[in-house]
Formats: sequence, C-alpha cells, structure tokens
Amino acid sequence: MANLEVPKELKKEAKAHDMYLHPIDKDTYELFFGPQHMATENFSIILKMDGNRVEKAIVNPGFLHRGFEKLAEQRPYFTNIALLLRICVPESDVPENIYSMAVDEIVGWEVPERAQWIRTVVLEMARMSAWMFWIMGFGNEIGLYTAGQWAAAYRERFMRLFEELTGGRVYHIYTVPGGVRRDIPGDKWLRQLRDTVEYIKGKMKDFDEILFDNYITFERTEGVGVMDKRFALKHAVTGPNLRAVGVPYDVRKDDPYLLYPELEFEVPVLKEGDSLARILVRRYEMEQDLYILEQLLDMGPPSGPYMVKDARLKALPRFKPPKGDAYAHVESTKGDFGAYVVSDGTHKPYRVHVRGPSQSHGVTVLEELLKGARLADVPVILKTLDNCPPDIDR
Amino acid sequence: MDMNEKPKVEEKVEEQKPQEVPEVEAPKLPDTKEGKLVAEVLEKAPYAEGNVRRERRVEFKVPADRIKEFLELASEKFEMLIQISVVDWLKEGEFELVYQLWSVSESVHAFVRTRIPRENAKMPTVMDIWPVAETYEREAHEFFGIIFEGNPRLGPFILEPREYEKHPLRKDFNMLGYVKTIYGEDFDRYDESKTNYVI
Repeated sequence: MANLEVPKELKKEAKAHDMYLHPIDKDTYELFFGPQHMATENFSIILKMDGNRVEKAIVNPGFLHRGFEKLAEQRPYFTNIALLLRICVPESDVPENIYSMAVDEIVGWEVPERAQWIRTVVLEMARMSAWMFWIMGFGNEIGLYTAGQWAAAYRERFMRLFEELTGGRVYHIYTVPGGVRRDIPGDKWLRQLRDTVEYIKGKMKDFDEILFDNYITFERTEGVGVMDKRFALKHAVTGPNLRAVGVPYDVRKDDPYLLYPELEFEVPVLKEGDSLARILVRRYEMEQDLYILEQLLDMGPPSGPYMVKDARLKALPRFKPPKGDAYAHVESTKGDFGAYVVSDGTHKPYRVHVRGPSQSHGVTVLEELLKGARLADVPVILKTLDNCPPDIDR
Repeated sequence: MDMNEKPKVEEKVEEQKPQEVPEVEAPKLPDTKEGKLVAEVLEKAPYAEGNVRRERRVEFKVPADRIKEFLELASEKFEMLIQISVVDWLKEGEFELVYQLWSVSESVHAFVRTRIPRENAKMPTVMDIWPVAETYEREAHEFFGIIFEGNPRLGPFILEPREYEKHPLRKDFNMLGYVKTIYGEDFDRYDESKTNYVI
C-alpha cells in the first residue's frame, strides 16, 4: 500500500493548469460519480474504490446552489413564492405551502376552509406525481425501463390537471400566504381528477407485477444499505426511510395541519430497514394517497372565499407582517420538509431557512451506507433513500 | 384577488406598529402535555428559561456557555435534531443560533435559542450527541463564519473554494460589490446611482 510517486513533470503540468493531484494508493482508485451522471440527479460523490467495492465515499454537493436564502431576504413576501418553490423540483407545492403556513402563523391569519381543502388536494396530487417521478428514477436504475415510462405517462395526467388549475405544469405559483391564488375551475375539473385517481388505482396492479413484486427488484435491493432504528433517529432520518426502520412518525398524524385531522388513513411501517423495506413503504403510501384523494373528493369543496379578507392585501409589495418567527413543516415524499421564517416588521423577510429532508439522509447517512457497497448498488442506495439534491444545495 | 392590480399612490396603507409589551415575570406553565415537558426539563436545568408558544411548540432560552450541557439533557426527551438555524442580528452585533428539536415520542417541536457575539464566533460542536449536526454545522460555518470546535470537517462544503471565506449570508456582505468583482464589465446591469436595486 505504498504511495506511488507522482512524476515531477506531471506535478509541474498540474501546477501550471491550477490543478491538484490527489495521492493514490496502489490498490485504490478514485471514481467521480456525477454531477452529470443520470443516477445522481446532479449530485456529486467522490468514491474511493477498491476493485468493485466502495472503501470510502465523500459527498460533494453544490452543483445546484442558487442562493435562494440570500435572494429571499431581498424580495417582498409574496414575490418569494415564485422563488422558493424551485427548491424541490418534483414536489414544488411543498415549499410554497410551508412558507405560506409560516407566514400565516406570524400574521395570525386563519385560512378559509375552502382554501384549506384546495391546499390539501394540491399537496396530495403533488405527492402522487412525485411518487410517479420516483418510480421513473428507480425503474431506470435497476433496468426496468418499462415501469419508468409508464410512470412518466401517468404523471403527465396530473401535470395536465395542474395546468388547468394553476396555469403551470411543473411550477405552479399557486399557494400564497392567506389562501390560494385562484378558485378551482369547476365541477368538470373535479370529475377529471376523480377519473384520474380511479385510473391510476387500476394501474397499481400493473406496477406490482412489473416492479414491486419482481424477482429482479428483490435480488437487487434485499439486504442492501441496512439501517437500524437508533442510527436513523440520531441521524434525523425522516419520512419513508424512517418508517422502513420501524418508527411510525408521520407529520400528518403527529403534527396535523390543514384538513388531515378529519381524514382517515394509515401509516405503513416495516422494520427491516433495508432498501426493499423502503420501496415497499413507498408503495403502500401510494395507495393511502389515492385513498385520501378519494375521501377529499367525496367531501367536496366547502363553500366560501378562497382567500383571507384583509385590508393589507390591497398593496401586496408593501405588505408588512408583525415581528415574530414561525416554523412550519409538512410531510413530503422525501420526509419532513420545514421552513423557518423570521420577520422584523419590514416588508421583506429577515431570514428564511428551509430544511430539506435530504440534508439529513443525503450527506452523512449516505456516506455511511455506501461503505462496503458494490459499485452497482450505489445508484440503488441513492434512489431508495430518495435523495433530492436541490434540498441540500438550495 | 387580482395580483396585477397596482396599488394607488393616493391610498396610504396604515402601518400597523407592533405593540411593545412591557416585560412581565414569566407566566406559569399551562397544565398540558407541553407544559409538563417544559417543567421537567427546567427542573434539571435551572439556568434556562422556557415557555410554551402554542400547541406542540415549545421554546427555551439558554446562555451560550451552558448550551452543550442543556442539549445533552434535552436529547433524552427530544430524539431528533431537525435543523440549526442561524440568524444574523446586525444591530445587536450578535448571532442567534436556533437549535430545532423534535420529540418523536411526545410529538413536540422545540426551539433552543442562544446568542453569541458576531466577532470570533465560537461554539462547541454537538456532533457527539447527534451525528447529523456535522452537516448543519458545516453549512453554518460556511455561510456565517461560526467556528464549531471539535468538528473535523469544517471547510468548503456547498460553495466554491473562491467563495469560501466570504460568508455570504451575513447581513453586511456586499452582494453587488462581489458580483462586480467577479463579472466585471460583463455585468452591465450594475448601476451605482440606483438605490433600490434587486439582482
């Protein structure tokens, strides 16, 4: 294991080009995974490899850093929504909602019932389309491309509904502090949503046959990337990854918001803690989300306004909440997604801090789980943890 | 509500000044789940202040030199460290660190606040209590320049190496000046005569 000496000419050449040469052992080599690699979703990992095994993994984020928290301090409150929703690409409604809920708590607004119903429907639709996005990524990792293409096609149905509701396909600047930006289009849209939910419910059986009940999936995921309960709690792992370890923690049950206290749904829990348990938990949650959407459609939208009535809303750029701070969090498909907003009484927020769930399970946990994994298992572990790099970089 | 409606200039919106509440002695803790939890923690840590903000939201104020002791005590009740948020209070010349904890067993969220001076800001690391604190501390060190003693991985994390010791999330960071030095003449939108400037 003696260090190989780097020739002097190479050192000179490297210095001339402003580069740094890492010392390399005889048996290990460095492998740069990403940020352009498809499996990592613009996330860079430096792997120290020994043959086919990973000896050490160093996470190197920053490719998607756009400085949202600094930019949010220089814009009025309502303008920030168009900025912050770009933090989570597959689920852009979650950052909107947490920011709006935090501002609502600072001002002391009680959101009207109709707006709460619409927000809940939008959040569940966002969860469902994010599950489809995840199936697309995961199916492509293990070579089951058909499942990924089906999921992309079914996600398109939700995109179409979103476009009719908000005017945007991926980024819907829809939820604002105090309510939502506009009313639902009408009964036709509700009928279309019900049809879509029933259609996808029928397609879950196909997904089971091709992906979740598949020999290939079992072979590739069973016993890969195992966590235990104590490790997961110390590392603040949340969401489906924590439920796969055996902790029944769900923000919708433990810290209820919007209309979730009135709805009936279960929290699936498995105790194995490996990659297979994680994908099965996600599969059970899809069913629960479809069930929640059905319940909401059976309730129907309550009558009333969709926005708070307040004289301060007439001049949006000069809207000033009182001093204070608030923390709001939401259960997203990745985990516990929160925002901490501080107001100092001016028309711009003093500090906005967004807590992406991948900050906890995308850096330290990933480095631990990748130790000793095969090279082919690296994308599988990445995808079953459901790492979302924009949350880390922001 | 019409988002495109321009506010009329003649219509002056009355600024609602927040009422200054006179300092009163700490109110008694309510007889709820949260109140009992705060009382339990404060029995073991008399140097801290605690109150209940609302349902499932709890707040503690701790002096900076006792923070590690307090967090070790709190980690028995609160299993998770959700986030370490730093707020830069420029006028007071202080950083406020907000350790946000979540209790899985009790379903309560806690703010643990502490204040340290802005110059030569140093804090003990809490990596040995929650290993995930390593990531949060690296971020806080990079954007604010707080040194966490005992954390071995402080250094360039998210930003590029050339941006490392600039601490861009501080309130006195000259954003336009930095952009001008980086892009120079290519950045033709920069105009020093304008006062209300947004990049």
